[in-house]
Amino acid sequence: MAGGGGGGDGEPEFQIAPMIDVLLVLLVFFVMITSAEVLKVDKNLTLPVSPNAKKREPEMAKHEMAVNVRYDAATNKGVLVLDDMVYNDWQEVMPILQESKKRDEKLRVVVRGDAAVPAGEIQRVMTLIGEAGISDIAFASSNK
Amino acid sequence: MKKKRSHKRKHSSEVNLGFQIAPMIDVVFVILLFFIVQAGDIQVENSHVTQLPGSVETSDAVSLPDEISIVVEDDGQVYLNDEPMDTPEEKNLPQLASTLNGLRESSDATGAKVLVTIYANELARYERVVDVLDALTRAQINNVTFQAGAPE
Repeated sequence: MAGGGGGGDGEPEFQIAPMIDVLLVLLVFFVMITSAEVLKVDKNLTLPVSPNAKKREPEMAKHEMAVNVRYDAATNKGVLVLDDMVYNDWQEVMPILQESKKRDEKLRVVVRGDAAVPAGEIQRVMTLIGEAGISDIAFASSNK
Repeated sequence: MKKKRSHKRKHSSEVNLGFQIAPMIDVVFVILLFFIVQAGDIQVENSHVTQLPGSVETSDAVSLPDEISIVVEDDGQVYLNDEPMDTPEEKNLPQLASTLNGLRESSDATGAKVLVTIYANELARYERVVDVLDALTRAQINNVTFQAGAPE
């Protein structure tokens, strides 16, 4: 319309600059929503599906810390992964948790357990978190 | 001014080294499409927030909550106060959710809080525990604690 070719001569002017603006905004939007998960997540585990779980609270995002529990089918046990580090001795995680709790009073530990992990292993992780003095925990689940 | 420029371009033999906008739009479009397609089946990570037992702050600890125990067995069978609920194959646990909802409503009416303790068998799948948490969320029960081992 504006700038659209008036008269017969001359090619109709297509306003490229606003179009790029719009495209870039859309692009940024989609980049943002696809990479919204900035938490240290472990791609090697399948989260249990729970459609009714609550959405993450954005204000708590910076207080969250993920503890991943992978499933080891061979031993039927959980494998504790924290910040991409595999811990064989789970007690080693305790000082890290305590340190994080000291740094951030509002710390929330997100337990990202594999769907196949025995519940006993999750109980062990919870005990560990409780012993570290952290009471606010969350169980991560996938929406589908 | 534009007319002048196009006029100049027509007559000059030099190659136009200006910024090529059309290929850039092509590329941006492709990237955009890629992200649109990806966004369609993105998995959103949700969470069930709870407090570990023994650490909940007691602001008004006068009313004693009605305690409900849910047992998750290793075969996936869920028991509500020793009463079997749904089949182990039932992922949605509709019976459990509706019973809990009824319990919660009756507790709300009396002003008491519902406290649910989950006793999960060591070998029960964690997925099943999350199913129970999901049913609890549907029944709008937020007071959930965990207990290792079987109920006494």
